[in-house]
Amino acid sequence: MAMSAPPPREAHRRPSTLDVALIVWPSFLAACVASLLFFATVDPELLRDAGPRLLAGLDREAGYALGFLFFWGIGALASTLSVYLIRTDRPVRRDAGGGAA
Amino acid sequence: MTTPRLRAVPAAESGAFYAAAEKIYPREIGGRFSRLRQSAVIALLGLFYGVPWLDWQGHQALLFDLPARKFHIFSLTLWPQDFLYLALLLIIAALSLFFFTALAGRLWCGYACPQTVWTELFVWIEQWTEGTRSRRMKLDRGPWTAEKVLRKSLKQLLWVALAAWTGFTFVGYFTPIRTLGPAIAGLSLGPWSTFWVFLYGLATYGNAGFLREQVCKYMCPYARFQSAMFDKDTLIISYDEARGEPRGPRRRGTASRAAGLGDCIDCTLCVQVCPTGIDIRKGLQYECIACGACIDACDDVMDKMGAARGLIRYTTEHALHGRPTRVLRPRVAVYSALLLLIGGVLLYSLFTRMPLILDVIRDRNALYREVRGDRIENTFALKVINLDDRPHSYLLTAQGLQGLELIAPAEPIVVSAGSVTDIPARLDAPRPVAGGVHRIALTLTALDAPRIHVHEKTRFIGPAP
Repeated sequence: MAMSAPPPREAHRRPSTLDVALIVWPSFLAACVASLLFFATVDPELLRDAGPRLLAGLDREAGYALGFLFFWGIGALASTLSVYLIRTDRPVRRDAGGGAA
Repeated sequence: MTTPRLRAVPAAESGAFYAAAEKIYPREIGGRFSRLRQSAVIALLGLFYGVPWLDWQGHQALLFDLPARKFHIFSLTLWPQDFLYLALLLIIAALSLFFFTALAGRLWCGYACPQTVWTELFVWIEQWTEGTRSRRMKLDRGPWTAEKVLRKSLKQLLWVALAAWTGFTFVGYFTPIRTLGPAIAGLSLGPWSTFWVFLYGLATYGNAGFLREQVCKYMCPYARFQSAMFDKDTLIISYDEARGEPRGPRRRGTASRAAGLGDCIDCTLCVQVCPTGIDIRKGLQYECIACGACIDACDDVMDKMGAARGLIRYTTEHALHGRPTRVLRPRVAVYSALLLLIGGVLLYSLFTRMPLILDVIRDRNALYREVRGDRIENTFALKVINLDDRPHSYLLTAQGLQGLELIAPAEPIVVSAGSVTDIPARLDAPRPVAGGVHRIALTLTALDAPRIHVHEKTRFIGPAP
């Protein structure tokens, strides 16, 4: 079972564990960086005081955690789109000439 | 580097394009590199679990106090204003990774990566509860006997306990660790601290117990781009094909060459010990985390066969082809120059760091006021931030205009350690010299330590001349 060409893409298959990992993991890394940069310059308490009523009563710890989860969520959304677009790409036609295998 | 090895599986079977990951049972191994890795595991995890318990001058030596937005690093207290240091530190970390990769290959992966280090610890527990590789394989194949249930439960129990302790320690870097234990015992731990304990604990369990080598194979970006830092003089772990081939089994004491064989006896021990389950004899592969387990295994076998060690060894591509290896080469020089430069900047700015900030904000309501005695007055709001870990009294002075007088509510200005004081201040000057706009400087000096002083520029505005 050595190296072999990957099987042709299927347009509509069920999402795999790997898809989930490809969504959750890069967005987690991005969320770490985003939280670091964002909260180094912005104090969550200032955000709370300037933000909507909904945030009232939250302390800094809640701010950091919610901020992190927010960044993670946005990142996951982007990763989901990327994975979706890659997975639903038009299958490569092997019989047509010129296509790289 | 070779291309990623994908194995085709019938799509109907798994529904995925990738082979379902086969469980890898790394075989236990002793030897030089195993000992080195074990020492690294003990040192690094010892630091991780131990450092939060260190105290320094009455506070936790290393505490990233996020709720207070202050980082305590021994005597040093860093504020959000000191973000530059963190940025420089991250750049240094990235450059060091490049530097060591160019020089010695994947040292990071084999010895220092948290994934490797915690996986090693989890595997120790697995070996202790479930036995050697062959016993573990037998146990997994066999029926659910009482012994299997017992061994598996014990392993899970230890794993979960270790993961929970890891999550606890992680949160201990952000919340004083000595208050954490009592808070958990009294069920009074804040919801977010609880959340982070669980998240980090879960990540540890999942990554080190369950995912293991799959993190390196499918999730690690460094594994994919590290080859960009490699060249033909980079230290790699390699099988000496010229010496080993043609491989094949033989009786001990057979003269290999005479039998038309190379030194590899094809015992596959190098494959069995590999934590990522690859065959190093197929060449350099991106799954190889350079842990050296195959070197230890092969050295043992070569010793038993009476052949020289090093059929699998740390070497370079140049050395394998009989060419000299250069340690100093342009890319190493560039990485080390950058490291020295940025490290120097970091050290210099740390040592000359002024633990005092003065913010000057002009009154926005009126440019100036005429006050008695034919003088012109400007009003300012001052913010004095004492970044030091002890209180200071400061003297405020103003220069830049003849006859300029400073009226502050209290002299000297006393600011306690690590806190901020707001001070309204007024400057006035005689009308004849005050006309127009003048640049002036405010100077704040600590009375007990003249080294601690800041200059802040602002403007004094009078009526148009």
